[in-house]
Amino acid sequence: MPLPAKAFQLWLHSVAPTASTADICRISGIKRTTLAQQLVRGKVAETTLVSISRALHLSPLAALASFDSFADLSSPPLPTPAELVSQIATMDLLRAVISRSSPAYGGYGDDGSSRTPALSAAPHATSVRNWVDSIDDGELRHRVSAATGIAPQNYSAQLTANRMSPELAVATARAAGIGFTGGLVATGLITEDEAGWPPGAKQAALDAVSDGELTALAGERLLSLGKTLRRQEQEQAQTQKIWENLG
Amino acid sequence: MIAMLQWTTFAVCALAAVARIPSAVRGENRSIFGIFVLATVAILLSIDAVYTVIDSWLGSENYTNLLLRFLIYGAVLLSGYRIAKAFDSGTSIRRIAGPVGIGVLSLICIATVALFLLADTAGTVTGLTTLPARSPENAALIESYAAVGRLYPSYVAVCILPATYRAIGQRLPKAIRTGAALLTVAFASMAVATLFPLIPSDLGYVESIINYTAVLCLTSGLAFVWVSSLMASRALRRHRALGLAALPR
Repeated sequence: MPLPAKAFQLWLHSVAPTASTADICRISGIKRTTLAQQLVRGKVAETTLVSISRALHLSPLAALASFDSFADLSSPPLPTPAELVSQIATMDLLRAVISRSSPAYGGYGDDGSSRTPALSAAPHATSVRNWVDSIDDGELRHRVSAATGIAPQNYSAQLTANRMSPELAVATARAAGIGFTGGLVATGLITEDEAGWPPGAKQAALDAVSDGELTALAGERLLSLGKTLRRQEQEQAQTQKIWENLG
Repeated sequence: MIAMLQWTTFAVCALAAVARIPSAVRGENRSIFGIFVLATVAILLSIDAVYTVIDSWLGSENYTNLLLRFLIYGAVLLSGYRIAKAFDSGTSIRRIAGPVGIGVLSLICIATVALFLLADTAGTVTGLTTLPARSPENAALIESYAAVGRLYPSYVAVCILPATYRAIGQRLPKAIRTGAALLTVAFASMAVATLFPLIPSDLGYVESIINYTAVLCLTSGLAFVWVSSLMASRALRRHRALGLAALPR
């Protein structure tokens, strides 16, 4: 369930008592019709709240925490190292593998180097699935579907599409017994900074991963990337054949 | 109501055929143009006013109806074969254009001509509606003739149906899946046409609705896929012009 419109309007009144709806839309870049529609339906999207709090220079995390469904956000625990590593893009992981290799292969030895480019910001192309994989003890998906009523195949479809609603991300975190920020960052609702992750947290988590673990993880990521690309190529070929014959 | 359906279907088919002329001139998939033309002429010949005129030129022996059957066979064969190839269904291709398919088509053609020649078909009658009333023998012949005429489209439809139905659920561009859904409706209607004798005679208009639904869905399904391919190649050209085609996704 997105945010209730009534609670949203109370919040808006408390943070910007003098601003009109038109002002809010102008500074936050939300279309007036979009906001009006969300208010009429009684459900305001979390992305709307986040855009408005950014525009008002407020912390999106604190804004979210003022709503009942996100109440546990007020003092978020830091994500686990595995969650942090899951938010590192596959290409950055591969770069780390090469960077740790011997100079003969273009690396800098065991400790990496300051010359290795900085990690790109989360979320990445498979953020959502990698985040869920990093917190899954094998039963997580069952618990989430029992708790929220979402069908397992719909849940997997969301992971494949690299998309997940904030509610589901929160429910997943709750089912895994961890803090909420990992999911909110993985789904792209808030940035790592806004989530209160210290700068360099991902890099530190990566540096703590052993060579063996890093290589295995990079291998898994490559394998699933390969599968995705192969499926895309297959679909592309199929589409091409249809167009060649009927186009 | 039926006349409106007929003229609408005719307009859609004719529009598709005309729109397809430039690409036919360039030599791109001329058989698609052929399907549209055959469908347009077939619809035209099934309209009462046109049928009467044409049949009077052909000697008022209802040879126009025979011609109409062969136009339909041609359109069905061409579209079935093309669509089976497009959706890459080996079994469908073999059953339509392989020895079995050609055998079925030949038998049906022979049966169509034989039954037509044996029946008393003198005097122009659109849809041969009043001919069965002439004698019990003529009734049997004309009804078999009509049944054989519906058999070939049903046969091809049953061969191709699994392929188009499967494509609806696959991860393909939306326009292709919409096209596949329309084609599935078209072929399902054609397949159902074999069951026409089971429809009570006072519900005769149901038959026409099913027939024209089949033609409308076939034409629009093909048009859908075609337009989506045009849009895709335009997008690709634009990408190439900007040098973006080589970038990873």
